[in-house]
Amino acid sequence: MPRFSTETGPLRKKYSLWFTILKLALLFICLAFPFIAGNYYSRFAIILFIYIILSIGYDISSGYCGMLTLSGAAIFGAGAYASAITITTLKMPFLVGMLAAMVVTGLISFLISLPAYKVKGNYLALISLGILEIVQRILNDWTSLTQGAAGFFLPQWSIFGMSLTNYTKYYVVFFFLILIMLFEWGLIKSHWGRDFVAVKNDEIAASGVGINNRKFKVIALLISSMIIGVAGSLYASYSEFISPDTFGFYLTIFILLTVVIGGTGTLSGPAIGVVVVMIIPEFFNASPDLKQIVFGGLLIILTQVMPGGIVGRIKERFRAIEDNRHIENLGDRLPISFEKYRVHADGPENILVVKNLTKRFGGLTAVGNLDLAVKRGTVHSLIGPNGAGKTTTVNLITGIDKPSEGSVIFNGEDITGMEPFDSVKRGIARTYQHVRLFKDLRVIDNVAMGGRIYYTYSMADAIFHSRRKRKEEKEAYLEAYDCLKLIGLDSKSNFDPGSLSTGQQKLVEIARALCEKPKLMVLDEPCAGLNETEVAELSEIIKKIRDVGITVLMIEHHMSIVMGISDYITVIDYGKKIAEGTTAEVSADPVVRKAYLGEEVTAC
Amino acid sequence: MQQLIFGLANGSIYALMALSIGMVSSTTGIVNFAYASVVMMGAMVSWWLMVIYQFSYIPALFVAIAVSIVLNIVIYETCVKKLGNLLDNVGWIITLFGASIILDNIARMLFGTEPQAFPYLFGGKMVTFFGANIMLHELMMITIAVVIGVAYQTIIKKTRFGRAVRAVAFRPATSELMGIKSEKIILSCFAMAGAVAAIGGVLIAPITFASYTMTYSIGLKGFAAAVLGGFGNTKGAFIGGFLLGLIEAFISIFVPAGIKDSISFVIMIIVIIFLPGGIMSAKIFNRNWSAAEKV
Repeated sequence: MPRFSTETGPLRKKYSLWFTILKLALLFICLAFPFIAGNYYSRFAIILFIYIILSIGYDISSGYCGMLTLSGAAIFGAGAYASAITITTLKMPFLVGMLAAMVVTGLISFLISLPAYKVKGNYLALISLGILEIVQRILNDWTSLTQGAAGFFLPQWSIFGMSLTNYTKYYVVFFFLILIMLFEWGLIKSHWGRDFVAVKNDEIAASGVGINNRKFKVIALLISSMIIGVAGSLYASYSEFISPDTFGFYLTIFILLTVVIGGTGTLSGPAIGVVVVMIIPEFFNASPDLKQIVFGGLLIILTQVMPGGIVGRIKERFRAIEDNRHIENLGDRLPISFEKYRVHADGPENILVVKNLTKRFGGLTAVGNLDLAVKRGTVHSLIGPNGAGKTTTVNLITGIDKPSEGSVIFNGEDITGMEPFDSVKRGIARTYQHVRLFKDLRVIDNVAMGGRIYYTYSMADAIFHSRRKRKEEKEAYLEAYDCLKLIGLDSKSNFDPGSLSTGQQKLVEIARALCEKPKLMVLDEPCAGLNETEVAELSEIIKKIRDVGITVLMIEHHMSIVMGISDYITVIDYGKKIAEGTTAEVSADPVVRKAYLGEEVTAC
Repeated sequence: MQQLIFGLANGSIYALMALSIGMVSSTTGIVNFAYASVVMMGAMVSWWLMVIYQFSYIPALFVAIAVSIVLNIVIYETCVKKLGNLLDNVGWIITLFGASIILDNIARMLFGTEPQAFPYLFGGKMVTFFGANIMLHELMMITIAVVIGVAYQTIIKKTRFGRAVRAVAFRPATSELMGIKSEKIILSCFAMAGAVAAIGGVLIAPITFASYTMTYSIGLKGFAAAVLGGFGNTKGAFIGGFLLGLIEAFISIFVPAGIKDSISFVIMIIVIIFLPGGIMSAKIFNRNWSAAEKV
């Protein structure tokens, strides 16, 4: 989310000075803290910083990417022990220990993320719980390596041969905290961060805009675990003594709580959460049981009352006021028209050829031996009664389902069974029968997601805010804004998609598909839930899309729009094609009239 | 022989726990992460009544069952009910863990941290059976578990209530339209799960000793058994429980005790990866795809 689009909200603008002052003040306090505070509070602050790093790491996978795992403490512990063993037993310097911690935690993350290929929700929670237990066992029982339940002693913390005093320890930890925060900031404010949210919100739509869900889950957990590993190695070196008890179930609950309180999937949430969770018990000097009971109560209550956490709540407030503002500072933009998306013929006359397509679900044949040819630059409608297999056909073409038999040839290339995230790169964009927008992203982010296949900047570019990243992000957002303008929703760009009407949401989906610069656009019931005016608007837009050479394959029940804008119509029933031809031919076909249109009805 | 009985006895506990998990997840699709604490509470309450207030075994057991039922209902009302669609919203994982640590720490405050000896059934009498010394308690564990399992399957298959449970498990919203109060059914499943949990807790307590941490690792094995049998599949849960007990008993002959406890988690992870539906979903049990029954 580049600068020019987010900072135009009047509220942010008004208070941006205050935000800067607040940040500088915090930085100053943190820098000066060891001099003002006593030993006890310095130590408290160091632990606080380490936990913030831990919580930030955990939030990347569980908050942003939506993979709720319970192995935070195990990974933290593995990191701590890996670095401790490297430093003590292998006599390596601290930074090598940290590297070892990151390698080990990275490897453990694969143990969790490889099953996450297939499973989520409760299974993921269970797998991670199992890993928590297994790591506990290893730490306790592999005594030759970890010295078991008695604990592990480290030498005094030294970096580059200098042993650290209390002051320098504070600054070293603080330095790593800032480093991790900058890393997270760069990552989250790039397409990577939005991709993680997209995977969390809707895997099918994410795959439809070119995200390989599996890859991103693995990456999210890897990054998250490595950050936790850094925290673990800092913890080990700082406390000079670690024991398996520290890394048990309660620490996992603690991490979970910090994220829940602060706000999952937010940049500042983990930090605020850790501060709250660390400081609250200090006030009433509670016994450990009472503290845990309060923590448990907070977990139950906050999840239901304040799902977004503290930061989420604040953001909601700001958003409500900001919503009505749209992007300013556009600079010199040429007036936009659909011409920009013109597609030139670069392949065979039939852009999409489906041969003998069959899909069986168990004993049910949803689509049987379907042949279909879609001519370039036409609007081709697929109609048929409910349950006729239309959506299945489209799913087979776009790769969401794999066909049992048959082939799909797009633009001369066989794409049978190709994953959606690959077929989108070939130029197939689609919308969905039930709107699939990313609900945690704004409207303009949603549209910009369509253009994500054109990003070329690397993760390093993202983290260091390189010129290339800024340029690409700016272009992508201007483009998204143009797309919104084309469908007439530019005034809604800062809204949450959920606050739009169904018709508007459908239009946003079309804008997102347009942003993919497709050759073929597949629309699955674009008019469902729309009123007459909206249908008329939509059919104008579809016509314009067709007029610039984008082929449209459309499923629709609305006979007026089907008859009004289609060039060709295919009628299917029970997974079989019963008629095909131009609009006039099909509407005159006696079989169709009987089976679908009803005998008396004349095409409108 | 010794190992076989031992495995079956442990397995019976895993089976009861998996049944308790399965009852809840068959109707709601969630995994009750707080159930281990309910098991513990059942055991602790009956220990308290027996040792401090001199209750005899059976009344203590019944009070424990009542307490566990109430606890499970409270957990449903406070942690699950208000979350709405449980498939989209994974908030229940967080709230149930919250409930779990609250219960654990209440137990710690009420009953102290010391593990307490818990009386065996029949005063720990031994019998010799094919040259192996077997405690009557262990035989009783197996018997009770089997009786409960069979009784539950009968209820599910034969009674009106059972049909309602199956309907809710399959399509909660549709069942509501058909005049079944889904929420009531779910609530009674939580209640039954509480009762089963308490029985499991009382039976395992003599072996693990009664303390607030008694179900930390056993509870996880309950999950492993439930995974092995397939979530929400109460028949599978039972088989999974006994199977896990046997596997553990026989592997423990070859490996040291510390590693033995990790085995069930390794099995759980492997099953989740390769057979997410549990063993009952494996092809050999399911030639006919429509036979994949959920309850």
